[in-house]
Amino acid sequence: MSKLGNRADWADDEEFDDPSALPPQQITTNKDGTKTIVSYRFNDEGKKVKVTRRIKTTVVREHVNPQVAERRSWAKFGLEKGNAPGPSFDTTSVGENIAFRPSVNWKVQAAEAEKNGGEKGSMKDQLKDKKVKCRICSGEHFTARCPFKDTMAPVDEPSAGGEGSAEDSPAAGALGAGTSSYVPPHLRKGAAGGGERMAGKYEKDDLATLRVTNVSELAEEGELRDLFERFGRVTRVFLARDRETQRAKGFAFISFADRDDAARACDKMDGFGYRHLILRVEFAKRAT
Amino acid sequence: MRPILLSGHERSLNQIKFNRDGDLIFSVAKDKIVCAWWSANGERLGTYNGHQGAIWTVDVSPNTQILATGSADNTVRLWNVKTGECIKVWDFPTAVKRVEFTPDGSRLLAVTEKRMGFLGTIAVLDINYGENLTEQAEEPSLRITCTESKATVAGWSYMGKYIIAGHEDGSVSQYDGKTGEQLENVQAHEFDHQINDIQFSPDRTYFITASKDKSAKLMSTRNLAILKTYVADTPLNSATITPKKDYVILGGGQAAMDVTTTSARQGKFEARFYHKVFEDEIGRVRGHFGPLNTVHIHPAGTAYASGGEDGYVRVHHFDKPYFDFMYEVEREQLRK
Repeated sequence: MSKLGNRADWADDEEFDDPSALPPQQITTNKDGTKTIVSYRFNDEGKKVKVTRRIKTTVVREHVNPQVAERRSWAKFGLEKGNAPGPSFDTTSVGENIAFRPSVNWKVQAAEAEKNGGEKGSMKDQLKDKKVKCRICSGEHFTARCPFKDTMAPVDEPSAGGEGSAEDSPAAGALGAGTSSYVPPHLRKGAAGGGERMAGKYEKDDLATLRVTNVSELAEEGELRDLFERFGRVTRVFLARDRETQRAKGFAFISFADRDDAARACDKMDGFGYRHLILRVEFAKRAT
Repeated sequence: MRPILLSGHERSLNQIKFNRDGDLIFSVAKDKIVCAWWSANGERLGTYNGHQGAIWTVDVSPNTQILATGSADNTVRLWNVKTGECIKVWDFPTAVKRVEFTPDGSRLLAVTEKRMGFLGTIAVLDINYGENLTEQAEEPSLRITCTESKATVAGWSYMGKYIIAGHEDGSVSQYDGKTGEQLENVQAHEFDHQINDIQFSPDRTYFITASKDKSAKLMSTRNLAILKTYVADTPLNSATITPKKDYVILGGGQAAMDVTTTSARQGKFEARFYHKVFEDEIGRVRGHFGPLNTVHIHPAGTAYASGGEDGYVRVHHFDKPYFDFMYEVEREQLRK
């Protein structure tokens, strides 16, 4: 009778495809004694998340005196009243590892460790023995400077396969790589040829950019913008600066919204005297 | 070793205490709550709420039944450690800077501040562990008045025989634990450099003082002889003697008011380990963003906790290199 009473109504057994229901937790025991627990929960956005945890249980036997053992069963009180057992994240965290080795001459060791750490940090020393290697001919020069750039494909790329795919998906090509995520230049397919392929999208922009050389060290971006704004809308002013001194390096790029404006500016501004130097203005060569 | 960071307090820590078994840690800070933590995993057992001001000091009875706290709200409170209830409030005319139980837990001393025309005192309260913990004596059984220089810290010697007090002027004095008569007074630290902490060895036959004069001293309880001196390069707020290994741990740093003008590197916010016998500094543990106000060692010598001006308690469980370290002479001794 009691058995019958415990059993749920048969009508409740029916499984509904309720979207809000979560699959039950699965616990499997692995060969090496660990347990894998697969559970499901909803995250903040209401999406179902599968959580897989692998748990290794180690039993550590510890003998404590009876008083200490009795204290372990104490209930929490005060601000912690009613909280679940186990450290809570808002009061307890684990710090980063500290290597503590007592030693008589610890000061010397600490100073040395710091010195070594400092050397490691400097990029210049790290790359001291690195050699430049061309991706096209494996020579000791930058890929962009390779004499065979136009005639040879990169060593590790068989042929024009990449070319077709770029045309198939113009949107992806526009981003400079096959996928939507950023790919650094050295990882791109046919890095050297990349510029030509993308030309379709960037042609207009490139053609409206002027390269200005023989710019004074004391030049300012604002001043350059004022100088070139007279000929039309300037979309971008780039003044190359020295990283350390923040002084101008002597050249700049000015991008115009319209190519005709750029052409006029090129015409007028070439040979213009600016801060005791005579500017040289020409159309920027397309970046490769 | 990976420290456990306890962030239960919102303001700077004032004192941390392990209980005698070392399974619980009690911490008090300038915010008005007392926290109890499990030392093994940093889980908070609970908080003791009721004080109305900054809490300067905490101590737990040897049987971990009663917790005593002294606060800037001019009270000493006793708490039931297990339930978190306040069982007794004693009112004093001024703030209470230090409380400590005798080794047997039968008496409690309270150091009161010198302020508002009141002289600094050390009051001794009898503690009753009966069926009903709330039945406690109303009046102190002994009152020592410090007429010359106020006491900043105090503690009990072995068997509660003496009361050892550190003073604002850098002197250490010894009082009889029963009559309160002053037996000895030694200018242990530089004049007018306050003693910030006194902590005893496990058998209470010697103790360590930490002072503003950038040094810590190991002194004998019996005759206040200075046994060892540990010199640091920063004012010290706290010092503790480690059982199991012969080290001492000192905590200090730039005074709180100067902290904003110094970087964490210059501030010297590190726990310093010295060898107890050879007086050499053998290492430092960094981690706090402010001066260390208090350090306390696990009674078994396996861990220590430090509390800083930054409001964090860091509990460090020592690992192998700590226990392995030995001087060459110690090794030779061992071989013989």
